Amino acid sequence: MLKINKLRVNYGYVIALRGISFHVDENEIVCLIGANGAGKSTTLMSISGLVDKAGGTIEFKGSDITGTKPHEIVRMGICHVPEGRQVFPSLSVEENLRMGTISVQKPTKQYIQQKLEEQYTLFPRLKERRKQAGGTLSGGEQQMLAIARGLMSDPELVMLDEPSLGLAPIVVEEIFELIQGIKRSGKTVLLIEQNASMALSIADRGYVLENGRMVLTGTGRELLVNEDVKRAYLGD
Amino acid sequence: MVNYALQQLMNGICQGSIYALMAIGYTMIYGVVGLVSFSYGELVMIGGFGAYYTFVYSGNFFLGVIGGFMASAVWGIVLYILCYKRFLEAPRHISMICTFAFSMMTKNLAQIVFGSEPKAVPSVFENVTYTILGIRITTLQMIIISVVIVFAICFTLFLTKTRAGTMLRAVSQNKKASALMGINVQRTVLIGNGIGCALGGVAGVLLILYYASCYPNLGQLVGNKALTSTVLGGLVSIAGSALGGLSIGILENLGIMFIPVGFRDVITFIFLVIVLIFRPKGLFVRKGTR
Repeated sequence: MLKINKLRVNYGYVIALRGISFHVDENEIVCLIGANGAGKSTTLMSISGLVDKAGGTIEFKGSDITGTKPHEIVRMGICHVPEGRQVFPSLSVEENLRMGTISVQKPTKQYIQQKLEEQYTLFPRLKERRKQAGGTLSGGEQQMLAIARGLMSDPELVMLDEPSLGLAPIVVEEIFELIQGIKRSGKTVLLIEQNASMALSIADRGYVLENGRMVLTGTGRELLVNEDVKRAYLGD
Repeated sequence: MVNYALQQLMNGICQGSIYALMAIGYTMIYGVVGLVSFSYGELVMIGGFGAYYTFVYSGNFFLGVIGGFMASAVWGIVLYILCYKRFLEAPRHISMICTFAFSMMTKNLAQIVFGSEPKAVPSVFENVTYTILGIRITTLQMIIISVVIVFAICFTLFLTKTRAGTMLRAVSQNKKASALMGINVQRTVLIGNGIGCALGGVAGVLLILYYASCYPNLGQLVGNKALTSTVLGGLVSIAGSALGGLSIGILENLGIMFIPVGFRDVITFIFLVIVLIFRPKGLFVRKGTR
C-alpha cells in the first residue's frame, strides 16, 4: 500500500534520513521504533509532505506522492496524527472534529453527522465534552481528539506519531486498544512509538531506525525477543 | 461639565468604533500570518482612497464602502505576494521588515499617484445633528457606529458559523495541524490576510468621512492605534481587540477634556505602556486558552 524507497531528508546541514526503505501492506499495523533523533517523526512528516526530500521516492497505492503537497496527500487517504496532539486549542471539540473533514471533497451534512456519531461511539468522552474548547481537555482526551479528528476524513492509512507520549499508563492502554480497533475497522496503521514493548506487542511488523538508517526489521514478535532490541529499547 | 463629558464620551464611542473595526481586521491578520504587520495603516489609507474615488464618481455611500473594502482587499493580496509568500519558510523577521518597506512604498506611491495634499471628501448623505438629552449626535456618527456593528457581527458569524471561517481560525491556531487536516494553508493565509485588510479598508472609509478629508499620510498614526488596540485586546481575541479599540477612542476623547488636544495621541501610547507593564497579555484575555 505504502512503499518508501531510499528516502533521504536533510535539515540544512544535518542529515536526518540516510536513505531508508520500507513498506506497509494493507490492513497491517507497522511500527517504527528508535531513539530520539533517529528520524521517526521525520519519516512521517516526509510521507505527509511537510518536509522537503533530498532523494528517494514515496509511493501510495501505486502512485508517486514524493512531491505532492500536504493537503493533497490528505485527500488521497493518508491521515497523520502529529506528535504532541496539536489539537486546535480554542476550537470546540466538535469544531476540531469538523476540521477533520476538510480534506473530503464537498461533504454532505449527513456524511459529517455520521462521521461525528462514529467518533462519539468510539470515544464517548469526547461526546460529553463536545462544546468544550480543545485546549481545556486532559492530555489523554486531547490524544483521543487528535486521533478522532484524523479518522473524520475516513482515511485508508492512519499514521500515529507517539500517541502514548506523556500519558498515564492506564490511558496508554486505552489508546493501544483503540489502535487495534482502527485496524479491525479495516484501516492500515503506521505507528511510531518510544514505548517499544507496547507498540511491538500489537504490531504485525516492525522496523528499527537508528541515526537515519533502518537497522532491523521483523514481525512484532521477532523484534520483541531480539537481543539487540531488548538491550537498546526495551530496557532489559 | 457633565454634559461635556457625556458629549466627549459619545464622540469617543464613535471614534473608538472605527479603531475597533481596524483592530478586528488586525487581529485576523496577526492570527493567520502570525506576525505584526507594519503596513496596516497604509492599507487603511488605501481603503480611504478607494472610497474617496468611488464617492467622487458615484456619490453613493454603500458603493463607497464596497470600494474601500475591495481596494484594501486587493492591496492586501499584493502585500501577501510581496511580503509573505516567498518568506514562509524564512526567518520570521524578514516578512516583518518587508511589511515595513511595503508601508513606505505604499505611502510614497500614494503621494505620487493621488498627490500629497488633503482632498475634501464629498458629502454622500445629509448630515443632520440631533440633540438627545443634551448630547449632540450626527447622522454621520450613527452611520459610523452602525457600519462597525454590522461588520463586526457579520465577521463574527462568518468566523464561528461557516466552514471557511472555522478554517481561518484553525490556521491561526496551528498551521502544521491545519496542513495535516488537508487545509491549504497558503491559500487560507492569503484569504485571511485579504479579509483583515479589507476590514481595515472599511475603517478607512469611515475615517475619511469622519475627518472629511483624505490624504496619503492618513495611515501612519491610525496604524499604530490599530496595533495598540489589538495589543490591549491580547492580539488573538476579536472581542478583546474591539473592546481595546473602543476604550482607546473613549480614553482619547475624555482625555482631551483635561489636557491640550495636541497631546491626544500621547494618551493612547501612555495608556498602552501602562497596560503592558501591569497586564502584559492585554486587558481582556480570557483565562485558560493560550
